[in-house]
Amino acid sequence: MYASESARAASASESRYRITVPIAPARNARVIALDARAAAVARRISDGPWANARFYTCEATRGGGPADEFLLYGLDGVPATLDDTLRGTDVVVVIGTDDSGGTRAAAIGNACSARAITTAGVVLGDGFEADDAVAALRPHARVLLLSADESDAFELLMALRV
Amino acid sequence: MLRQDINELLTQTGPGTPMGDLFRQYWIPALLAEELPENDSPPVRVKLLSERLIAFRDSEGRYGLIDEFCAHRGASLWFGRNEGSGLRCPYHGWKYDVTGQCVEVPSEADNSSFCENVKLRAYPLVKVGDILWTYMGDPAKRPDLPEFEFAHVPPEQTYTSKRWQQCNWLQAFEGGIDSSHVTFLHSGGLKSDPLFKGAKGNEYNMKDTKPFFEVADSEGGLFVGARRNAEEGTYYWRITPWVMPAFTMVPPRGDHPVHGHFWVPIDDENCWTYSFDYHPARPLTAAERQAMIDGHGVHSKNIPGTYRPVANMDNDYLIDREAQKRGETYSGVAGIAMQDASLQESMGPIVDRTKERLVPADSGIIKARQKLRKAAIALRDEGVTPPGVDTAHHRVRSAAVVLPQAESFLDSCRDAVKATPGVPHSSV
Repeated sequence: MYASESARAASASESRYRITVPIAPARNARVIALDARAAAVARRISDGPWANARFYTCEATRGGGPADEFLLYGLDGVPATLDDTLRGTDVVVVIGTDDSGGTRAAAIGNACSARAITTAGVVLGDGFEADDAVAALRPHARVLLLSADESDAFELLMALRV
Repeated sequence: MLRQDINELLTQTGPGTPMGDLFRQYWIPALLAEELPENDSPPVRVKLLSERLIAFRDSEGRYGLIDEFCAHRGASLWFGRNEGSGLRCPYHGWKYDVTGQCVEVPSEADNSSFCENVKLRAYPLVKVGDILWTYMGDPAKRPDLPEFEFAHVPPEQTYTSKRWQQCNWLQAFEGGIDSSHVTFLHSGGLKSDPLFKGAKGNEYNMKDTKPFFEVADSEGGLFVGARRNAEEGTYYWRITPWVMPAFTMVPPRGDHPVHGHFWVPIDDENCWTYSFDYHPARPLTAAERQAMIDGHGVHSKNIPGTYRPVANMDNDYLIDREAQKRGETYSGVAGIAMQDASLQESMGPIVDRTKERLVPADSGIIKARQKLRKAAIALRDEGVTPPGVDTAHHRVRSAAVVLPQAESFLDSCRDAVKATPGVPHSSV
């Protein structure tokens, strides 16, 4: 005999009647590595059980243009513009490890903000090698994960069901 | 989402489980000192980490925490007579001291050595601040006593309460590092609670309902920074420290006392929420202390003689839909503590995390789960001492600050998040 609806509804036995339907991956994610070390991390985690995640690296435009001009490359080496990369996505996870990606981080953050795409930043390192990248991402990234542990990027993607 | 096997690993804290072994590396709150108010006061049942124990204070003022059941026939020592420097089972008179050693078996011959071979499992029980702490791990690895600031300021500067929460410890704890719910669930309290209202920071909270988060490792756990817009060119930061396994502090508001929690598993479907308030630099006022006793702020109004909240699942938390309509409370449940508990308990005893749909704003929770899992596995597989055992990790504070937009809260708040005796907390 339960004293209330809350007591009954919160019981372990009642949880058997919760609706169980398969949960489809909810996010159409892009993972963008800002620098060379971040690219290595992206390559390692790209083997995960992802349904809708695509992984990219950033490189300066060949021939040397302004610092904020860069191309994205899929892990298969196929180039893509930022505009094309962001089409159809609803979350972008940016990975950085040093300050070399600061300008790119700002450009990606701006582009995501303009398109109402949720942005998350994972900044890996023990010290403050990526202060500029963090500062550039801060206005845009809904969350910044500052960590020495590269598996944080994997765990974030897993938790987001990408 | 979390895989089922990881959910089980994190939520099961009984003897021999990885998380149970992790909790047994730390001093954890066992009961409030007020529960054993004087020598030879009645013994108290204590269930911790799925072990049934009995706490008592003997004739010399020594505290004991021993197996609840008499070694003879298994009767509960809660019925025991606390007398003559020991706890005597009323069934056949067997008597135990605070170390669990049997010191008298009346049916045996005088001078018999029989009782020397009878010893109940016992754990140390030590008063630090308003709490009696215990350590349930390997005696050879017993760490130094806790150094959390709330337990070390003078008694007139601190207040601690506890309440029974009817769900697994992890879903209660996760509320403590989830800053984004404050703007919704606790919005009424920011305006009216005597221990919250009036702070400038509340205005930032209410104006900007979409905080941004930064989550950073600390030596003992994490710092979770929640950022909202403040005046032009500045951000309002609320910084929550987590010290493993289950200590968190809520960022302060104005000159109100600062508060926090320690979540302790009773068993896998229940936990104790210890809630504290303290001011590092001044005594609590009579009005503040009374507000805490009355269940305001992070505290709850409990049923007299118990630590069960007056508003609980058996009475639907006294939900008031009219107050909800009037905007006095967001959920209809009154009080910060029960607003949290009502929703956390509604998830069921152990929430099925395989069905979650987390968002990037949940990164503090995602990261905390990962740290707990890694620490439990490193302890199990390699014997690695987990973060938070070292008492240096305890000397942290929460903070609320306004910073220029370009500044990192980690860089700018190094001193603010350190517990410095006598120095007021950083608050807005």
